[in-house]
Amino acid sequence: MTSASPKLLRTAKGKKPVYFDDVTDKLLSMVVALVGEVSVLRDRLDTVEQLAAGKGVLTSDEVDHYALSEDQHRLRSERRDAYLARVMKSLHDEIAGMAEAPADATETFESAHALS
Amino acid sequence: MNHRQSEHIALPRPLHDENARQDFVVSFRRHLSRQIAPGAYAAYQNRVEPELERELGRKPKDADEVRRGMLRDPLYQMWSAMQRQSQEMVWDSAIDTIERTLPELREQAKTLGPLGSLRLSETLEIPRYHSVYDIHLQPGGYHQDSGSDDVAAGAIYDLGVPIYAMGMMGPENNSTGQTLVNFFETAWPEARPERILDLGCAIGNSTLPWAQTYPDAEVHGVDVGPACLRYGHIRANALGVPAHFSQQNVESLDFADDSFDVVCSALLFHETSRSAVPNILREAYRVLKPGGVMIHFDGFRTDPIEPIRAFFSEWEIYNNNEYFLKTVHRLDWIEQAIEAGFPADGVAMRKTPFVAFAPLTERGTKGYMTGFGDVPLLVAHKPS
Repeated sequence: MTSASPKLLRTAKGKKPVYFDDVTDKLLSMVVALVGEVSVLRDRLDTVEQLAAGKGVLTSDEVDHYALSEDQHRLRSERRDAYLARVMKSLHDEIAGMAEAPADATETFESAHALS
Repeated sequence: MNHRQSEHIALPRPLHDENARQDFVVSFRRHLSRQIAPGAYAAYQNRVEPELERELGRKPKDADEVRRGMLRDPLYQMWSAMQRQSQEMVWDSAIDTIERTLPELREQAKTLGPLGSLRLSETLEIPRYHSVYDIHLQPGGYHQDSGSDDVAAGAIYDLGVPIYAMGMMGPENNSTGQTLVNFFETAWPEARPERILDLGCAIGNSTLPWAQTYPDAEVHGVDVGPACLRYGHIRANALGVPAHFSQQNVESLDFADDSFDVVCSALLFHETSRSAVPNILREAYRVLKPGGVMIHFDGFRTDPIEPIRAFFSEWEIYNNNEYFLKTVHRLDWIEQAIEAGFPADGVAMRKTPFVAFAPLTERGTKGYMTGFGDVPLLVAHKPS
């Protein structure tokens, strides 16, 4: 095992211009970083698919037409919800610090009323 | 609950990544509804309302006053901006699939099925309340049409609405129709309507439950959107249900006087206009047989509502191109029906549970899933 590489600088010295306002500029940086990461993930997945196809394990067509069972659908849905909770942690933290809304407060958004 | 529909041959099947995007949108919308929207409500209680009280010297009296405070609350802003984004993603994720499968869909449209009928108009003008903005942000609106075999608007609607409703439309994307049929057959179990008319039927998902429940009846659906109607006709054939679709403006129908036992609509009025309302109700009265019944389901207000809840119920008005919903909330619908000709003692506001036809494993009584709350109805009888 070699010793860990030294941490290199990631931020350039100097004043950063403000384009919109502080919050919007930060959000834009986050979105662009996320866009980049999704692209990397996609390329990684493509590599796995190509390797698997080369070894006769699966084809991209099988992936495209893969059918989920009810259980898989539910598990994925739960996993996405946990993922969203992590992404929105700053909002959840803020909400946790306030007195709660009544249980039926927002039935507007998840009941028949949402349809009109 | 799974938002994905039971498959039928007309419904385009999303590929893996399209499904993954659509599933994400449902999860995102559920997360916003269940976890972030209650936070925006809490922000109102904790800081917005006290601030408004200081400014006004009293509690806010209506949704408009609540709105002044909420629009500047950062948590509300965050939730609202994401909720809007999710609505745009509903259609975007559905359009991916429709765009890819459109050549096949158009081919299907050329060989219309033998069940029921389809009658399109060469001359119908799309009403302004549809053409000035795209309702619910569906790009191109429900009326978008590029010619004789175009079904895109209908297919986008069929795939998109269950995502929008996060599963509430049921596995056959027809809970709006199921809800009206359930009300009707519970209220009049002996009735055997011979002719039924569904106004603003889009792809006929609110229409077909009538034909399925009363197979001897002649069931009609009318709408202004030709691509929705073409798709609706193919869809009805794919599901094996006969229905007669025609392209008409519901403000001026070409049906004979006294010719329907039931005239109904599901979520029609909030997509029209103030001047359209009396025309629609008058036409409903005209085409009803003596003794016939009119049933409409929309965002009618039957009970008083707290200002903050009224404010949330108006979100779609300002953020989802449903501008007329505000008037629908406020109008006196009984008065409107009486002005259209219905006798005062024959008109009532009612409530009925919103139901969706359930997959076998989830069925309760009568095969319905419930738990979505009640919806308001306007019910009126034409004298015998």
